[in-house]
Amino acid sequence: MFRRKRSAKDFEEEIQAHLELEADDLRGEGLSEGEARRRSRVEFGNVGAAEERFYMKDRWAALENAIRRVRFAWRSLAQSPGFTITAILTLALGVGANTAVFSVMNAVLLRSLPVEDPERVVYLRTSNTPSSVGTISSTETFSYVVFDALRREGKGLAPVMAFAPLSNDKVSVRYGAQPETAEGDTVSGGYFSGLGVKLPLGRGFTDEDERTHAPIVVLSHKYWVRRFASDPKVLGQTFHVNGAPMTIVGVAANGFEGTEAASSTEFWIPFQSRPELNAYGNAPENGKTFINNPKWWCLHLIGRIAPGMTHARAVAELQPVFQRAASEGLGTPKPEEKLPVLSFADAKSFPGYDEEYGKPLRMLMAMVVLVLVIAMANVVMLLLARNAHRRREFALRQALGAGRGDLFHQLVTESILLVTAGGALAWAFAVMATRLLANWAHIESTLAPDRSVMLFTLVVLTIALFVFALIPLRMVLASGAEQALKVSSATAQTDAGRSRTGKIIVTHQMSLCLVLLVGAGLLVRTLRNLESTPIGMQLDGLVVFGVKPDIKSVPQGVAFYVDLMNRLRALPGVQNVTVMEERIGTWWSNNFNMLVDGKLPEVANGAARTVRNNTVGPKFFTTLGVPILEGRDFADSDTASSPRVGIINEEFARRFLPNQNPLGHLIGPADLPSFQMTIVGVVKDHKYRSITETPIPMAWFNYAQIPMIGSMHVEMRVSGPPLAILPSVQKTVLEIDPNLPLLRPITQRAQYDLTISNEILFARLAGFFGLLAVVLVATGLYGTLAYRVSMRTAEIGVRMAIGARRGQVVWMILRDSFRLTAIGVGIGIPLAMLVGNALASSLYGVKPMDAASYLGAMVAVGVVALAASAIPAARAANVNPLRALRAE
Amino acid sequence: MATRENNDERIALLQGTLDLLILRTLLLGPCHGQGVARSIRRQSEEVLFVDHGSLYVALQRLEDRGWIRAKWGVSDNNRKARFYSLTSKGREQLTEKTSEWRRLTRAMGLILDGADAQGEEV
Repeated sequence: MFRRKRSAKDFEEEIQAHLELEADDLRGEGLSEGEARRRSRVEFGNVGAAEERFYMKDRWAALENAIRRVRFAWRSLAQSPGFTITAILTLALGVGANTAVFSVMNAVLLRSLPVEDPERVVYLRTSNTPSSVGTISSTETFSYVVFDALRREGKGLAPVMAFAPLSNDKVSVRYGAQPETAEGDTVSGGYFSGLGVKLPLGRGFTDEDERTHAPIVVLSHKYWVRRFASDPKVLGQTFHVNGAPMTIVGVAANGFEGTEAASSTEFWIPFQSRPELNAYGNAPENGKTFINNPKWWCLHLIGRIAPGMTHARAVAELQPVFQRAASEGLGTPKPEEKLPVLSFADAKSFPGYDEEYGKPLRMLMAMVVLVLVIAMANVVMLLLARNAHRRREFALRQALGAGRGDLFHQLVTESILLVTAGGALAWAFAVMATRLLANWAHIESTLAPDRSVMLFTLVVLTIALFVFALIPLRMVLASGAEQALKVSSATAQTDAGRSRTGKIIVTHQMSLCLVLLVGAGLLVRTLRNLESTPIGMQLDGLVVFGVKPDIKSVPQGVAFYVDLMNRLRALPGVQNVTVMEERIGTWWSNNFNMLVDGKLPEVANGAARTVRNNTVGPKFFTTLGVPILEGRDFADSDTASSPRVGIINEEFARRFLPNQNPLGHLIGPADLPSFQMTIVGVVKDHKYRSITETPIPMAWFNYAQIPMIGSMHVEMRVSGPPLAILPSVQKTVLEIDPNLPLLRPITQRAQYDLTISNEILFARLAGFFGLLAVVLVATGLYGTLAYRVSMRTAEIGVRMAIGARRGQVVWMILRDSFRLTAIGVGIGIPLAMLVGNALASSLYGVKPMDAASYLGAMVAVGVVALAASAIPAARAANVNPLRALRAE
Repeated sequence: MATRENNDERIALLQGTLDLLILRTLLLGPCHGQGVARSIRRQSEEVLFVDHGSLYVALQRLEDRGWIRAKWGVSDNNRKARFYSLTSKGREQLTEKTSEWRRLTRAMGLILDGADAQGEEV
């Protein structure tokens, strides 16, 4: 019934009215004004107490009931600690694993940028970039001309912001004396104001700052806390970026780590015209930085859809502006060229994360949902078994006058206690697991569980609660006091329907377990294949770091590196030192079409002519330990004035110079026909970009003979632990230039391992969840079988009394669980095949139909079933027929 | 200076009788809380004194049970007050409780008076 509750205020007004009416009456009796008021109050007594009693009247009863029920449920749970602890732990693991994976997914794929009104913020995208331009990404980057046009003329977006990293990597910075590296972006003037990012300290940038290329910098909150110890006095201090002094003017709001994928930006500077602060750290092309070079599309654009505009209208309105600006300064386009088309991508999460982590995360999410289903099924079975045991208790209570509602409330309260305890534990578990996940995945944006994660967990727990509450409901509906009291303890509990439910649940659990085990097996084998993949060089003892010297001319650059290598070679423990333009094991590579002996080589049936190449220093292959099959390594004697030389790999020789001696042939990039090098060596195939790459033709040139030199990576082979050399290396570098930090120093082995870090993470997690599933299924199976045996004690007693032997009893129990296992496996195999196919792209060196993984999973499920049935079977065999029958 | 009220001649209400008194008072017509309290005092010749806090909790309880209903109105001397009136359910309750009370007092009387008489006889 709907009952209108009175508000406390209404009640208060009524009492006020009472006091006034009383005072009126007293006045009528001849009392003075003041005395009448006083008397009315005195007669009423304690007004506050009355209000309090009104307020508490209904609440007390309900609260008291609830407390009583919780106490009772707690006592009842405490009476069976085995059940309680198992149920809570199972729930905690299932829900915790889900929460952890979901919080990563949330942070990486779902969460919006931490900016004002993120729904209206979009990243700009294009298709059909003009063919005459160079891009960072042909769909995601634009020229400054385009940016400026969209900003000035486009009414669909208000405003448009632009940003570009100062390097693919970290850049050199200096605050005080110690040089170090940090991740920085160069941004347009309206970046902070347009995104609506607050600056709790100092200020952001203005269009004026952009126009004048003001030498100022804004720090990220995280960087400010970590590097500057949250010192508010950093404002006005000088911060050197690639040697250029910048004044710190602000600190951005906590949580804002830039708008770039998979990285956390540590500082921002307005667009600069200085070449050393060019976007991506590239050297200006023909003296043009990104600002005045329409052929270099390097800026990422981000915009806010103008008020009153829709997504579609904003695109339509910007399209003509974009298409006109896109061709500006490029000359006439080729006739067959299509017009570039602008589009928007939601700024929901960071672009690029999805490609990198989307698929594995979704797979993981699916896996942990399976784990959760198994876990919930376990708890359901535990509850069923426990409640079946308690039917006599319930029947007795009903006979003594407890209503069905009371029983139901009692059982639901128990479920609530279980789910609450399990949920709390799950949260703690998830917070820990999330931290581990973040470390493993090298995801730098913050993964701390937020409101949506909390909501997700609450929803999961609510579902669990709902499921667990349905069981007592069924229980209560099914039980009648008379019936349960009438029948014997043994027969009352061997309810055919209920044991069928248990069987169905166990069978499904087994099939899910098989699926998880097959998935885990495939991924673990993938991992093993990855880890044992030969790189083709001797990684032990190799350490690598980058340097980004301020170099104005090629001879100066060569001199710098000659000097650096000589000094490093002189350090104790150093065996070999070389340099390279592209750091190996970073996914990056230079690729171009190669001329062989002055012409593009003939290749069979259109195979790629692309050659990967790298520009490296003397003794490159000797340092790495790559075997030289023919000819020689680069040497110190290869200089700008000596004949130009190149080295190729086996694959290059096989594809472009088959059946001949490759030494002496000329090779060179197709777009520089006059630039040819003589092949002086052939080396064994080895990995360049990553552990998973397949061999591709490769060529190496000598750094001193290529007219471009700037930032390089130094590779050193040392005796002893590789990283121990770094302090003396840093000292040596500082002697040459006090502004130069070592960029990303790391062992070469760790560098290669980074290229499979996702696979490692994925396989480890899959393995972990597979194991978790096995444990859960084993406990579930054990619980069900043990329960079934205990229910059949009387029956077994009878059987043994009439001559059944122990072996027969054991076999009876085992047969039962083997049948369940066989059915479970039968259902699981086709499911596992589906999963295997979905995983196909994540596998390395393993087929989705890998027999070993399937066999292994089947054996594992069988062993679990055997182990889980052995104990109940043994117990059954030890049933004493006399005692079992007497107990009836 | 507050002087202590002399309550000697007053009797505290028996548990459970307040509801009955309220219902009976409201039988005469709608009335506000203060009116009910005053009416009980007057009609009992200043013997029954209602604790005002309990009165309002009781009024609320009766309203929740649907025996009385309430609405805000204006008193004789133009004050805003919450007026209570009997519902038909309340009327039934009043009849029932009144007869219960009559039987109770009769039984009490029989025992108390009878005991007295016996004592005199001995």
